[in-house]
Amino acid sequence: MIKNMRRGRMLAVASVMTAALGVTAACSSGDTSGSTGSSSSSSAAPAEKITLTLQTFGGGTNFGYKAAVEKWNADHPNVQVKYNNLTDSFENVYWPQMLQWLQSGTGAGDVVGIDEGGMGLAKARPQFFTDLGQYGLQSRQSDFPAWKWENGINTEGKLFALGTDVGGMSICYRSDLFKKAGLPTDRDEVSKLWGGGWDAFVKAGQDFQAKVKDAKFVDSINTIYNVVLSQESAKNGNVTYFDKNQQLIVDKNPAVKSAFDFSEKISKAGLTAKMQNFTDPWNTGFVKSQFATLGCPGWMLGVVSGTAGDKFKGKWDVATVPGGGGNWGGSWLAVPKQSKHPKEAAELASYLTSPEAQLLAFKEGGNLPSTIPAQDNPDLQSATNEYFGNAPIGKIFGPSIKSLQPTFLGEKHAQVKREVEQVLTGMDQGSVPYDQAWQKFVEAGQKAAG
Amino acid sequence: MSVHLHTQRADPAPPPHRPGRRRSRPTSRLWSQLDLKAAPYFLISPYFVLFAIFGLFPLVFTLWVSLQDYGLAGGDATFTGLENYSKLLADADFWNAVVNTVGIFVLATVPQLVLALLLANALNKRLRGRLFFRLGVLLPLVTSVVAVAIVFTQLYGRDFGLFNWLLGHVGVDHNIDWQSSKWSSWTAIATMVDWRWTGYNAIIYLAGMQTIPRDLYEAASIDGASPRKQFWSITLPMIRPTIIFTVFVSTIGGLTLFAEPVMFASNRMDGGTTGQFQTIAMYIVEQGFRNFDYGYAAAAAWLLFLLILLGVGINYTFVRRIGGSR
Amino acid sequence: MTTITQVAPVRRPKDRGRRDPFRATPLTKIALGITVLLSIFPLYWMVIIASRTNSDAVEVPPPLLPGGNLGENVQRVLNTEDAHFVTGLVNSLIVTTTVTISVVIISTFAGFAFARLRFRGRNLLLGSILITMMVPLQQMGIVPLYQLMVSLGWVGTLKAVILPYLLNGFGVFMMTQYTDQAVPEELVEAARVDGASTMRIWWNVILPAVRPGMAVLALQTFMLNWNEFMWPMIVLTPENPTVQVSISFLTAAHTTDYVLIFTGTALSVLPLIVVFVAFGRQIVGGLMEGAVKA
Repeated sequence: MIKNMRRGRMLAVASVMTAALGVTAACSSGDTSGSTGSSSSSSAAPAEKITLTLQTFGGGTNFGYKAAVEKWNADHPNVQVKYNNLTDSFENVYWPQMLQWLQSGTGAGDVVGIDEGGMGLAKARPQFFTDLGQYGLQSRQSDFPAWKWENGINTEGKLFALGTDVGGMSICYRSDLFKKAGLPTDRDEVSKLWGGGWDAFVKAGQDFQAKVKDAKFVDSINTIYNVVLSQESAKNGNVTYFDKNQQLIVDKNPAVKSAFDFSEKISKAGLTAKMQNFTDPWNTGFVKSQFATLGCPGWMLGVVSGTAGDKFKGKWDVATVPGGGGNWGGSWLAVPKQSKHPKEAAELASYLTSPEAQLLAFKEGGNLPSTIPAQDNPDLQSATNEYFGNAPIGKIFGPSIKSLQPTFLGEKHAQVKREVEQVLTGMDQGSVPYDQAWQKFVEAGQKAAG
Repeated sequence: MSVHLHTQRADPAPPPHRPGRRRSRPTSRLWSQLDLKAAPYFLISPYFVLFAIFGLFPLVFTLWVSLQDYGLAGGDATFTGLENYSKLLADADFWNAVVNTVGIFVLATVPQLVLALLLANALNKRLRGRLFFRLGVLLPLVTSVVAVAIVFTQLYGRDFGLFNWLLGHVGVDHNIDWQSSKWSSWTAIATMVDWRWTGYNAIIYLAGMQTIPRDLYEAASIDGASPRKQFWSITLPMIRPTIIFTVFVSTIGGLTLFAEPVMFASNRMDGGTTGQFQTIAMYIVEQGFRNFDYGYAAAAAWLLFLLILLGVGINYTFVRRIGGSR
Repeated sequence: MTTITQVAPVRRPKDRGRRDPFRATPLTKIALGITVLLSIFPLYWMVIIASRTNSDAVEVPPPLLPGGNLGENVQRVLNTEDAHFVTGLVNSLIVTTTVTISVVIISTFAGFAFARLRFRGRNLLLGSILITMMVPLQQMGIVPLYQLMVSLGWVGTLKAVILPYLLNGFGVFMMTQYTDQAVPEELVEAARVDGASTMRIWWNVILPAVRPGMAVLALQTFMLNWNEFMWPMIVLTPENPTVQVSISFLTAAHTTDYVLIFTGTALSVLPLIVVFVAFGRQIVGGLMEGAVKA
């Protein structure tokens, strides 16, 4: 684009101008603060202390790396890690910004988190990420199930990302609100309550709503939609918006339609709090007890505990999900090419995805490990979660995570997801009429895939 | 502010040449000739160098970029001619953004300027603590847009916002979800804009009003004209240039509205579930820096420019007629 | 050009008894009082939330008096490492000061040339400035400016948010008008006759005369630049933000923490409030003078 412009002359003009205006001092101080961020000293000897920036996304405890990073920092006095969780919104804020930084060559951290929805595009842009193979990380292959490993290989066949967690699925519920509604509160009984599938879930919701007026049964239409979509796609060739040739199938995939139809049903039944997940009102909804259930992949447990806070400790609980297993979410870590310390960053990425660190993250936020040794670890199998009334989450999630089916997500998945879910929320909140919603939904998807 | 140039001063007779009082060493004369000829250009050169780099270049380059199609995030660009423009003109989302921008602009500007006029008229009265009142109405101007938007967005909260709570006391029994529909989101954003700018415009009007000779009012009073009549027949026509200025500034500000609706949408560029309050500036950023369709964004930027020219033109002809019939 | 005719509202004795058009009725006073209250309320609300706890922030009925947690909350903002709030404040000061000083100098230069010097192309160039005042460059040029910054390697640096803002057509226009009415032509001629060079005239004749205009321009530039948001948000990174960008990242990263966000917002507004209170008289005076002189 601008590469054929005479960059040198531009610089010369600019610097003469700057000097003439007497702003040199300010500019150079701008420079210094500009480079303090992701790397403190690029020219310094390797033995000197460096700082790596770890950038992640997600609500509550997000990636659950607090303990793991503290441990790393204690063990590596010369390679200190700054753990920045940038936002809770992946598709709307984090990923577009990250792409902008990756393109411009500045702004991305040394290690960055990527949600499954961004991996299709990340794979197709080898120029953005460091080849982790050159730092010997091929050796990690045996730790991962094949699908999690292979999704970290880019279109040039290079390893660029290592898996963090997997989704899994459950339903989080407020036992105190269930009690108020006269529903069972024990997690086994609750699981049995909707053991008959989603219709039983809706029935339970109607019973709940009949008794409780100041809280809704489910949090948001797009949470429940993603839960159902993950289950349905497992039944439909493990694809959602794109088929494996990157063709948009939002209008053809029965999984999408079923998930949409169910969402419409639950919205029409008046069971939703009419919020959108990962927004301010939704976060406030946790604190003000505005809803009683939400779909909970493993990582969502940390969102709940981190957002609702200690006040609601023991009030939330975990039950099995109606309608069978599914996988929503799960992430990877990659090292942007722009990192000034790729070797150390690669080491950090490897450490954070190690079975040891994954178990720390599991303990902290409930993020389910993707490495086989961590999944097989007896501590995981017997783990309970104190926040959720000591729910045996190892037992709830453990059996399913090993048999998880990887969902294929296209290059433009994040964009399509962002747009179609807006239509869903619009339908739930009343700005899109129900009878036009499906058509608008498809159109939004087609436009985003452009 | 009257926007007219001193063209009459452009080419007067050259200054009287009085060589007698000049030091007449030849180098010095050469130097002073050079000084006379070159110094003006030297003085304006910093501005015009900046203008070339940060003004002209972006404008021209935007045009070039708008003729290209860019692949998503780091893909290649191909020349597509006017395709971006034809796509854009057929893009319902773009027109939605245009309608929103104009709608919010009208909803914000009309009450704002009317209120500012009334406020200025009030400030123009004899008052104790004039400075206090003037500072008071100007205070919002120094508050950053981001801060205004954050505070108002919280005040407009659906379930726990102050405004819904207040409305609850006057008989609105359901909580309004301000973001969810066009009219409510436009109103919310318009109040943010108005809160920040009404006082500023009032001060500008006040300045205009103070240049009106008071004899006019006194004469009108003697003739028995009511204050209202005086406002319409003296104040308004006399400050017409000032009104034109504020309309001009508000038009540019209103058509490029960005920070308020972005913060109102929790940092998103889509302006609500169905783009209820997505403005053109948000649309440009969404296309350019969310979808990485730089060419499309550049085309939208050019259309925004045309819209501004159109807006300024329409407003100018409209306002010129205000108070025209005295 | 119209000059301000400061008609002091002095009541002449003969007016007494007649209906005075400039009498402030009680209604006027009440209306003004309400307006001032409305102006202050959102700022007051910011302080209420910033001095309370997160559970207070979502109480119904909402709290209407400040609480006692302000100090603690300010500490929390300053200790929130990922917000880079202090960096943001310092950066904003650097950027705003640099831009303000440069714009004032550039504008005084050009204003002098346009108002008091004769040269070929003067009208054309002045006209071009007027036209560019109408172009929203930061929006129009956002894509190419960004690409320019990328190719210069300036993304994430303060240069990227300083240099584009040095282009300020309004400043040049204003200083042209101001110089025109503040510096008598004869003064420049006399200095010229005494053999003073153009730069010397600028220094000895122009600068002293236009100082008030420079102050007004400086204050306006400072305020506008401090609040700039769209371009810095795009071209800066979370590691090295201006204060507005820092607030925006704070809102993105700590969505649940209203109190933290409001405290940060209050702190970001504080420097301007200080400037405003300290120079209030000059700001109002300058704004009004600028409105009729320029």
